[in-house]
Amino acid sequence: MANENLNILQNFNILYLEDDKNLRVHTKDVLEDFVNNIYAVGTSNEAFNIIINNKIDVIISDILLENENGIDFLRFLKEEKKIHIPAILTTAHTDTKYLLDAIKLKVENYIIKPINIKELLNTLHDILLPVIQQKQLQKHNNIIKTISTVTDSKQVEVVNYIFNNLNNDNLLITSYSEIMEKINISKPTLIKLFKELAEKRILVKTQHKTYRFDEKALNLL
Amino acid sequence: MFLKRLFYYFDAIAFSYKTNFLIFIITGGMICITILSVVSIFSLKHDFDILFERRTKPLIQLEELKDTYKVNIYDTFYDIQHGSISPQNAKEVVTLARQLINNRWNDYKKRISSNYYKPSYITSTITSIYPIAIIEEKKILQESIINNIEKKIPIVDNLMNDIFKFVENNRSYDAYILVDRLYFEVNSINIYLNSLINYDLRLALNEKRKTEKVFNIIIALSVISIIFVFLFSIILSVIIINNFKKLHNSLEQKVALKTKELQKLNESLEKKIQIEVRNNRKKDMIMFQQSKLASMGEMLQNIAHQWRQPLGSLTMIIQSFQTKMMHGKLTDEFVDRKVNDSLLLADNMSSTLDDFRNFFNPDKVKNEFSLQDCLDHSLELSKYLLDKEMINFSLIFKDEITISGFYNELSHVFLNIISNSKDALASKDKNEDKLIYVVIKKVDNFAQIVMIDNGGGIPFEVLPKVFEPYYTTKYKSAGTGIGLYMSKQIIEKHMLGTITCKNVKHKLGTDTLHDCAKFIINIPINQKDYDGK
Repeated sequence: MANENLNILQNFNILYLEDDKNLRVHTKDVLEDFVNNIYAVGTSNEAFNIIINNKIDVIISDILLENENGIDFLRFLKEEKKIHIPAILTTAHTDTKYLLDAIKLKVENYIIKPINIKELLNTLHDILLPVIQQKQLQKHNNIIKTISTVTDSKQVEVVNYIFNNLNNDNLLITSYSEIMEKINISKPTLIKLFKELAEKRILVKTQHKTYRFDEKALNLL
Repeated sequence: MFLKRLFYYFDAIAFSYKTNFLIFIITGGMICITILSVVSIFSLKHDFDILFERRTKPLIQLEELKDTYKVNIYDTFYDIQHGSISPQNAKEVVTLARQLINNRWNDYKKRISSNYYKPSYITSTITSIYPIAIIEEKKILQESIINNIEKKIPIVDNLMNDIFKFVENNRSYDAYILVDRLYFEVNSINIYLNSLINYDLRLALNEKRKTEKVFNIIIALSVISIIFVFLFSIILSVIIINNFKKLHNSLEQKVALKTKELQKLNESLEKKIQIEVRNNRKKDMIMFQQSKLASMGEMLQNIAHQWRQPLGSLTMIIQSFQTKMMHGKLTDEFVDRKVNDSLLLADNMSSTLDDFRNFFNPDKVKNEFSLQDCLDHSLELSKYLLDKEMINFSLIFKDEITISGFYNELSHVFLNIISNSKDALASKDKNEDKLIYVVIKKVDNFAQIVMIDNGGGIPFEVLPKVFEPYYTTKYKSAGTGIGLYMSKQIIEKHMLGTITCKNVKHKLGTDTLHDCAKFIINIPINQKDYDGK
């Protein structure tokens, strides 16, 4: 249970749609410790209002609501309002009909009641992890771009070239002249850069014109 | 021996042949006797006629001849002798007498010799078959007498002629002498005639005797034939009666045999029926059991659903302790709150269970209860299935009604009808309104419960059969066909009410008309005089 990664949920808002008041309250009590904000509602109308007015990252919805259907609500959001929010369906039913509908709507998971909170949290984690990663990637990109503007841009270009030409085995097969053709850089600067990388065991020459990129070396820095 | 064999042979032939034979014998015998008697009567009449014509008439002729000689000739000449008549007159009288004598004599001869008078065929046949001792006709005697008379007649004639000649010549003496001779001759003729008459009389007597004999024979024959026919008829009748008796006996035996067989069959049938009835009862029991199981299955689904929600909550509460602990937020206040909630939920679950358990426990005694409670409860029990099919249920209570009866049984009836409506509505399109509409009101002394669903109504050919046992339109797995039958039994036998169904068009509180099936239950409100079973 004590999964460190669940901390990533802390930044997200969740909409919980469930008509059984008891279950709604108790589930909310559990989930509110894990997420930034949980909006627990009983009808699709309330749910829609919240979606309009708040930033919702994941919808958790029951299928059988009072006089309505969670699947219908999700379809309404996706097809009519063009709002794409990842969704998890919880239900006591294992009817194939519901399952097929759920698959067509590409819901993230289909959780059978009674809800196992670990399963729910893991699913939430699985959904939100790519979002986090996307954010981090974006962040790193931004960092690199920022660094490149304040340092020697040629060296950044070379590093860029190196990573772009790595093959699947993390091998770079190239020569200085090839690099110089692409990038307007003086040979001594290039040699100095390669030498520096080799010293830090990041890019080691294995054969003539063949260099190996070692990821682990980066972590040692 | 032969008779016995004949008898046996006759006994053996078919009954109809026997009767035909009897009829034949009787009619044939009758006809024979009739013909025989008619023929014999006619032949006898014929014979008597012959006797008269042939024997009596000649006698009369002979007698007349005799009289003529005596009266005409003898007396005339006697008168002449005494002179009391003139010779001329005497001659005329004598001439007339001679003519008469000639005529009569010739007539007699002709009659004697004629063959015209023959005895009838029957008589001659009978006489030929049964020779009757008859005195032979002494023809020779007759002929000799006739010859003598014929000789005497010319002698008398000559004498008379001579006498008249003498009288005319007044030779009275000679005439007198001749008259005496004439007297003598006339007397002798008369004697001959007498003997001839005697002879004829004897013959007539003979003939009469013969006829009598023939008559006797015919009578005897008739009697014999009558007796024969009579006897034969009696024998035949006896045989036929025997036959009847035999037939009667054999038929009686047959009837007795068949009666026995029928009795046996009857007994075996009774046994069979008993066995079948027992089997049927067993089958009924099984069917009731099945239907109970089926409704139990439905109930179980309901229980399952009604438990699922609190179970979900409970699961969540239990897990919440863990997560709160993890986050270090497990406060006393939180634990108190959650435990209270859990106990409430558990109580709920327990009472749900009790509800369903009560439902399956048959009521032992009648209770007073509110119809509204019963319907609400039934609805509660089937709520899950109705929700699942997204069926709208509207209850309209126009009157507050309390009835006495078996609560659970009535609840069963409501559930059955709701279940049927649900099945009908389940086949409808998702987007259509699915409505069940229940109205309770008081009509006279009856509580009327009207349940209407817009499931399209009951098909026309099914409508008369919905309350029949084992009739189901559903697949075997889905229904036993006993639900509505049981409902009818409960309403009619236990509640003394009526239950009917029909198809109607109804708005059901909406704007459009729907094709609806309508169940109407009437339950008498005042049931205190009914002790119940």
